Amino acid sequence: MLASKRLGKELTKMHENLAPGITKIKCDDFQEWLMDIRVDDNPLYHGEVYRLKFTFSNGYPIEAPEVVFVRDETHPIPIHPHIYSNGIICLDLLDKSGWSPVNNVESVCVALQSMLASNTKNERPPGDEDFVRTNRQRPRDINFVFHDDKV
Amino acid sequence: MSSASQPIPPPNDRRGSRSSRSSSNAGFPEPMNSSDIAASESSGFVVGGPPGSPSPLALRASTSPHRRKSRGARIPPDFHLLDYVNTPDSNLICLICHCPFDRPVRLACEHYFCRICLDHAWDAQPEGCKTCPTCRHKVDADEEPLPVPKILERMLDELLVRCPNSKLGCPWVEQRSNLENHVMLYCEYALVECPASDCRLPVSQKDCHKGCLHYSVSCDNCHTSLLRKDLEDHQRATCQFRFAPCPHCSAELLRLDLNAHINDVCPKATVQCPGSIVGCKYSAERETVAEHETACPMATMAPFFRDQQARIERNEARFEPLVRKVGILEDGLSNITNMLYPANANDSSFPVTNPLDSNNPDAFPPAPLMPTPDFRLPPASFPPAPHNNDQSHSQPPFDSQIHHLLTLHDSLRDELSRVASALSELEGRTSMMIMNENQRVKEEMLHTNAAINGMRVQLHWLMSATLHQRTSASASSSATRAGGSASASGSGRSSASGTPTTGGATMRGPAVGMPPLRRLSDSIRQDTKL
Ligand SMILES: [Zn+2]
Ligand SMILES: [Zn+2]
Ligand SMILES: [Zn+2]
Ligand SMILES: [Zn+2]
Ligand SMILES: [Zn+2]
Ligand SMILES: [Zn+2]
Ligand SMILES: [Zn+2]
Repeated sequence: MLASKRLGKELTKMHENLAPGITKIKCDDFQEWLMDIRVDDNPLYHGEVYRLKFTFSNGYPIEAPEVVFVRDETHPIPIHPHIYSNGIICLDLLDKSGWSPVNNVESVCVALQSMLASNTKNERPPGDEDFVRTNRQRPRDINFVFHDDKV
Repeated sequence: MSSASQPIPPPNDRRGSRSSRSSSNAGFPEPMNSSDIAASESSGFVVGGPPGSPSPLALRASTSPHRRKSRGARIPPDFHLLDYVNTPDSNLICLICHCPFDRPVRLACEHYFCRICLDHAWDAQPEGCKTCPTCRHKVDADEEPLPVPKILERMLDELLVRCPNSKLGCPWVEQRSNLENHVMLYCEYALVECPASDCRLPVSQKDCHKGCLHYSVSCDNCHTSLLRKDLEDHQRATCQFRFAPCPHCSAELLRLDLNAHINDVCPKATVQCPGSIVGCKYSAERETVAEHETACPMATMAPFFRDQQARIERNEARFEPLVRKVGILEDGLSNITNMLYPANANDSSFPVTNPLDSNNPDAFPPAPLMPTPDFRLPPASFPPAPHNNDQSHSQPPFDSQIHHLLTLHDSLRDELSRVASALSELEGRTSMMIMNENQRVKEEMLHTNAAINGMRVQLHWLMSATLHQRTSASASSSATRAGGSASASGSGRSSASGTPTTGGATMRGPAVGMPPLRRLSDSIRQDTKL
């Protein structure tokens, strides 16, 4: 109830204005939203549109939403040392301990934009292939070790 | 908040549950505390408020049309689910719930959150490391959040909100501070438990008096089966056969409104002249009647008659609570009577009711005619207020029983206050007397003290005289016989045969020895006697 109320409020606010490079794609229920982000000021990601999938629990915003990149014909997964090739993001903001209820969908998008914008390494995280092959856990259940603070 | 416009809340008022809005309780009288009660008991007589007299609240309760019965607990409104009329200022928005604050608190880092939101956020954090959700500033585990400035609370209180039941039809829009009152006490659209004893389904407060509406009916027009409580909505909004033509003017309208249309509006329906209540027999289509009306004298008179009728009915309706009020006043009156004349509690004819009873002018017999000694308290120990006596003869009988009772009540009140003032006068006189007596005793004591002092001086003088005499005697005796056997026997002997002045003073001092001192004490005593 509170989650949908809060998401409704976020939606109304996003109708009015959204930070540049962020577009809402599908926000017609209060379980799963799709958002697009662009990072044009970094040559690594210039011209690409990346699609994010937000999955909300009933505990939102006290509980963090599950945020992953999704791949389709027009939307690749960005190459970044903290983004696995299956779209799972290793960002402390999205983890249980790093999440704060004052964050919202837009602020998460902005944080991911700036994470991409500041990246210079054109590489996947170490052990990416193994992780992608073996991981059956949901992103929220994975215990990441935040090995690198300069995201 | 303006409590003047709102009725007195029933005792199950639950507004205290929200501490930040405790100010809304102001304006209602505080219950009497124990020290007040003790004070009123110790004073014995309370003029104007004898025990057992009906309080204004009791009168009001006896006349209030009906007691609101609200079965089934109403749920306090959740401020996070409210619908605000205007978009609230972004400074009033909690960053966690994105709603205007509900009971906000402040953290040391100057970040504000709803109490509930903050608690939820902290519940999700691991034990013992509470942080500010905005700036992650560490908060001590046992540190309580700080209160917010009053102005913030006031701004929040003034936000306009819709009733949470607005979707059910409640049109209420008011300041948020009044919401809880409205939802908990007054909202007619709040869902309460069905009045039927064997039915637990919710029903709107406003439909409560209609009895249980949770049975199936079928719509007369489309034969859909549905619950009785939804029937009206169905026929108004969803039924596919909800429209029907008027049989008279063939206008297309809702079936539900058809009767009202024919009775009040339809120009072709046959109606009677409005003067029919006075006797006009004319009846025709409404349009024609309108023309007739301008010419019909009885139709012109009809409104006045209707007014009159309405007034009579109103007065009759008013009569009922007055009768009840009189009953209560009578009870209070008999309480007063019993209190004033406790010995005659069972004698209803004596004495207060008699002097004023206009129906019984002989009730006030002249005192000398009483043949037997009367041990009862006198009817009026004080000269009765003149207007009571004068009027009882000159005035026609009281025009109503109520008036009579009220006059009686007033005169009793006067009597009471006379008793009280006499009491206080008596008390004053007594304390004055005691004070005078005290004063006298004190002065007497002073004089006694002075006399004692005088005697002490006298004693001192005597002592020194004796000493002096002894030294002079021993000096003279030492000249004749050196080393007398004992100084005491020497002095005793010498005093017996010594100089006449000192010897006399020792033996008969009070009688002759000390005329000046004696005179002094005498003169003082004479002063005292004045
Ligand atoms: Zn909040
Ligand atoms: Zn803070
Ligand atoms: Zn309401
Ligand atoms: Zn029912
Ligand atoms: Zn129908
Ligand atoms: Zn009609
Ligand atoms: Zn007529």
